[in-house]
Amino acid sequence: MANIPAPEGRRHRTRLHNRTLNWLRNPVHSIGAAALLFLAYTIVWPVLKIAYTTFVWRQQDVRLTGAANPGHFTLYHWTRVLASDMSASLFYKPILNSLAVGATVSALSLVIGCSLAWLVTRTDIPLKRTISFLAVIPYLLPAWILSQAWLTFFKNGKIGGTPGILQSLLHVSPPDWLSYGFVPIVISLSIHDSVFFFLIVGAALSSMNSQLEEAASVAGARRLTVLRRIVMPLVLPSILSGFILIFTKAISSYGVPALLGTPVNFYMISTMLYSSMRSRLTTEANVLSLTLMLISMLTIYLNQRAVGRRRSFVTVTGKGSARRLTPLGPWRFPAATAAALIMAAVAVVPLLVLLAQSFMLKEGVYRLSNFTTHYWWGGSDPDINTGEKGVMQNPIFLLALKNSLYIAGAASVVASVTGLVLGYIVARGRQSWLGRAVDQVSFLPYLIPGVSLSELYISMFAKPTLFIPALYGTIGLLILITVVKELPFTVKAGSAAMMQIGTELEEAAQLGGASWLTRFRRILLPLNRKSLVSVFLLVFIGAMKEMELIIMLVTPRTETLTTLTFYYAEKCYEQLTNVILMIIIAIVVAVYAVAVKLGKADLTQGIGGQ
Amino acid sequence: MNMLNRLHTNKPAKAALVLASAILILTACGQTNDADGANASGGNNASANAGGQAANETAAAGNDAAGNAGGNAADASASADSADALYAKAKEEGKLIVYSTSGRANDAAETFMKQYPEIKVEVSKVKSDEILDKVTKEQDAGQFNPDVIITKEVSGAVEEEMVKPGRYLKYLPADIAPMVDEPYRTQAEAYANYVEFRTIFYNAKHYAEVPVKNWWDLTTPEFKGKVYTADPLSSPAFMDLFTTMVVNSDDMAAAYKEKFGKDIELHGTENAGYEYIQELFDNGLIVLKGSDDVLDAIGKADRDAVGLAVSGDVSKNEENGWTIQPIYDIKPKTSVPDSGYFFLANKAPHEAAAKLFVRWMMGETDGKGAGLDPFNQVGSWVPRSDVQTKNDIPYESLNLWAFDGEALYNTAPKVRDFWIKQK
Repeated sequence: MANIPAPEGRRHRTRLHNRTLNWLRNPVHSIGAAALLFLAYTIVWPVLKIAYTTFVWRQQDVRLTGAANPGHFTLYHWTRVLASDMSASLFYKPILNSLAVGATVSALSLVIGCSLAWLVTRTDIPLKRTISFLAVIPYLLPAWILSQAWLTFFKNGKIGGTPGILQSLLHVSPPDWLSYGFVPIVISLSIHDSVFFFLIVGAALSSMNSQLEEAASVAGARRLTVLRRIVMPLVLPSILSGFILIFTKAISSYGVPALLGTPVNFYMISTMLYSSMRSRLTTEANVLSLTLMLISMLTIYLNQRAVGRRRSFVTVTGKGSARRLTPLGPWRFPAATAAALIMAAVAVVPLLVLLAQSFMLKEGVYRLSNFTTHYWWGGSDPDINTGEKGVMQNPIFLLALKNSLYIAGAASVVASVTGLVLGYIVARGRQSWLGRAVDQVSFLPYLIPGVSLSELYISMFAKPTLFIPALYGTIGLLILITVVKELPFTVKAGSAAMMQIGTELEEAAQLGGASWLTRFRRILLPLNRKSLVSVFLLVFIGAMKEMELIIMLVTPRTETLTTLTFYYAEKCYEQLTNVILMIIIAIVVAVYAVAVKLGKADLTQGIGGQ
Repeated sequence: MNMLNRLHTNKPAKAALVLASAILILTACGQTNDADGANASGGNNASANAGGQAANETAAAGNDAAGNAGGNAADASASADSADALYAKAKEEGKLIVYSTSGRANDAAETFMKQYPEIKVEVSKVKSDEILDKVTKEQDAGQFNPDVIITKEVSGAVEEEMVKPGRYLKYLPADIAPMVDEPYRTQAEAYANYVEFRTIFYNAKHYAEVPVKNWWDLTTPEFKGKVYTADPLSSPAFMDLFTTMVVNSDDMAAAYKEKFGKDIELHGTENAGYEYIQELFDNGLIVLKGSDDVLDAIGKADRDAVGLAVSGDVSKNEENGWTIQPIYDIKPKTSVPDSGYFFLANKAPHEAAAKLFVRWMMGETDGKGAGLDPFNQVGSWVPRSDVQTKNDIPYESLNLWAFDGEALYNTAPKVRDFWIKQK
C-alpha cells in the first residue's frame, strides 16, 4: 500500500516540474515572475507592513483612547476614520474633494494634452519641436510655483499681504472660489502634469498608420466617424493610462492643495494625511493612504476590464508605413502662434522671472544698480544674507551637484529600462494574471507617502537580508527608491510603447534563433529608443526635484542640490534658492539637448512608439 | 516688495511688470518647509519657567556642580570635559555628524571648523518629527549614525519616544551648568540652547501701540475676520499652543473674566480652552499654510489684521520687507516655549567631538564663544544667566506657560480632533 502512491506522486511531480519549466520558458513568464518578486519586496511588502499597523494598537494610541491595548488586534483605526463622529471631517469631505480634484485634473489634462499631442503629431503645424519642449517646462518647475503665481494674480483680500494683480488693476475683489480652493488647485495641477498626457497620447497618435484613416475615408466614412471608429479605439488605451496616471498624481499631491486649499478649509486626503503624519498619528495616516490605494486599484481594475476586452491594436509592424499629416491650411500659423504664446505664458515667463530674480540684489527693484552676481558666485558679504556666500562658493555645492547628477542620472537610466521590461510584461501578459498583477502593483508607489516608504526602507535595507546587501547609507538606496517611486509612470509608458509593437518582429527573430535578451536588445530597445529617452528625461527631472524621499535617506555624505535648497529656503534666502532652481533647470535642458542629439529622440512624438 | 508702488508710478514698465510679477512671489519662503518654525515645542518641565519668576537668576549664581545632576550624570568631572581634553580625543575621531532641525547648526559648524580645523562637521537638516523616525529606525536596525541631535519638541513625543527610552541622551557640561536657567538645567528633558515661542504679531506701521493684551481680545468684533494663523494641522507646534490653552483652561477662564467681567459660559465645549478655539473660528479665523504666509498677510501692506507666528521670525523683517512686531505680554500667559534642545545620540560614534561641538554652540564656559551667535538672536532667547540677550525683555521676564510634555502628548490628539471638527 505504502509503495504505490510513491511513483504516482513522483510522476505527478515530474509532470508539475515539466509544466513549470515549460511555463517559465516563456520569457513573459520567467521575467514576469522575477519582476513580481522584485515588486513584492519593494512595494507589496511595505504596503502589507503599512496595512498591518492599521489593525494593531500602538503605544501612541493610548493618547486617543483609554481602550488602547498596545500590540493587540483592533478595528479602532478603521472605524475612527470610516465610521465615527470624526469621519465626516477627517475622511468623507476630504475624499470627495480628492476624487473631484483627481477627476477634473485628469479631464482638463486630457483636453490640454490631447489637443497638443494631436497638433504636434498629426498636423503640419510649424515649430513642433519648440512646442513640445515648451510643454515640458511647467513640469520642470515645482508645482507650488504655479500656484504661487496664481495667487499673485488672483488672490483677494482674504489672505492679506500684497493685493493680487487683478485686484489692484481692476479694483474688483475676485471671489473666493476663483482665488482659492478647487478651481486654482485643478488649474495649477493640470498645467503642471498635463505633459504626461501629451507624451503618452502623443506616442499612440504618432505611431498610428494614416492608411487606416485613409481607408475609412475612401470607404465613405465621415471625419467624425473616422475619429470615433478608428482613432478613438486606437488611442483609448493610452488615454485611459494617462487618465489614471494623472488622477493618481493629483490625489497624492500635497504642496498645491496645502497652499491654495487651506485659506478656505479645502482639505484633501493628501493634506489630511500630511497632518496625521506631522501630529504623529502614524496609524491614521496609514489608514488614509490605504484608502487612496484601494481607490486607485479599483480604477485600474476597471481600466483593465475596459481595455482588456478589446482587441489590441498593433500599429508598429515590420512594414514601413507612411504617416500623412492633416493640413491645417490657413490655421497653420495662427494655431502655432497661439500654442506657442500660451505655452510661453505658463512656462517661459515664470522661468525668465526666476532667472532675473537670481541676479537682483533686492527682489522687485528693477534698476541696473540692483544687478548682482553675488548670489551666483559672490564671496561672503556681511550685509547680504548675513554673510552667506554665493551658491557656487558654497563648500558643499560641488559635492551636492555631483551627488544630484549621479543619483538622478543613474536612477533615470535604471528606471527607464526597468519600466520598459515591466511594460513588456504588462503588454504581452495582458490576458494573464501575471501581467495584470505587475500592472496593478507597479501603480501603488505614487500613493504610498514618500516619508512612510523611506522609513520602511531604512528598516528593510539597514542590515543585509538574504542576498540583498545593506544599502542604507549608500547612494544605491536613493537610486532604488527613486526607481520604485517612478514605476507608475515608467511602467505605463513602457507598456504603452510595447503595446504598439507587433509580436511578429519578435517571432521572426525567435525563429531565427535569437534569445530573448538578444531580441530585447536588438529589436525592442531600438524600436523603443525614443520612448526610453523621453522617460529617462522625465524621471531625471523628477529625481532632480525630489525632496521628500531623499531627505529621510540621505546621510551627510549624500548631500544633494535639493537638500541645499532646503537649507536656503529655511533661512528665507530666496535668491539663493532661485539660483539652485536655475542650475537644476539648466542641467535638465542640457541633458535634454544631449539626449536629443545622441538618442536622436525628441518629444514631438511622445513617449512610446517609434 | 515695492513692485506695486512702481506699478502705478512707472507706466511704461507696467506691462512687463504684470507678467513679471507672476513669479515675484513665487519663492516666498512661506512655501518651503520651515522646519524650525513648524515643529513642536518646549521642554517637559513639570515645574515652571513661567510666571515671570526671576528666581533662577539668583539661584544659578550660587550653584554648585551637583546642581546639574540630571544634566550629565555620566560625565565625570569638568576637567575631562574641558575643551582641550575633548579636542585631543576628538582629533582621533576626525569628524562628527549632526542631525539638526535648524539651519543655525550649519552656521555654528562653520565657526567650529575654523577653531578646530582637524574636525569635520557634517550637518543633516531634517524636521524634528523626521529625525525622530529616522533615528528610531536606524537604532532599531543597529545603526548608530548621528552624534549630536538638535531638535524641537513634537508635542511631547521627543521626550516620550526618544528621551525616556534612552535614544537621545542629555548632555550639559558641568562647568556651564551653573549658569543655565531652569527648567533647562535640571527639570527639562534636556538643555535647550535657544527658546522661541508662538505669539501674536501685528503691523507696527498700522498700530502705534500693542493692539492685543488678552488672548480673548481676538474673539471680539474688532478682530472679526482679521486673525490669521498657520495651519496647526500641518504645524503641530501651533497646535501645541492651543493644546496648552486647553490644558491650562483655568487660566483661560480667569483671563476671560478679567476681560469681560463675567464668568465664561461654555457652548457645548469641555472647558475654556476648547471654548476659545471655537470662538476664534466663530470670529472668522483664517488659516494659512505656514508661518511666513501669516507674516506676509499682515506685514506686506498697511493692515489692521494680526496673526500667530514664531517669535524668531521677527529677525526676517528686513529680508522680507515686513513691518511686523511680536507681542510679548498677553493675558493669561503669552505662550508656551518652543525650545531648541541639544542631545547626544545614543552610542554616538564620535562622542568627544560631539561634546566639543555642543560646548562650542553653547558659547563655551563664559558664554562668549562665537558658536553661540547663531542662537542668540532677536526673538530667540538663550537660557543662560550670563549671556546678554538681544531682546528688550530678558528670558526670565517672559510670561510663559510651562511646557508640559506629558500632558501635551496625551491631550494633543483630542484638541486636533476638536479642531478638525470645526471645519
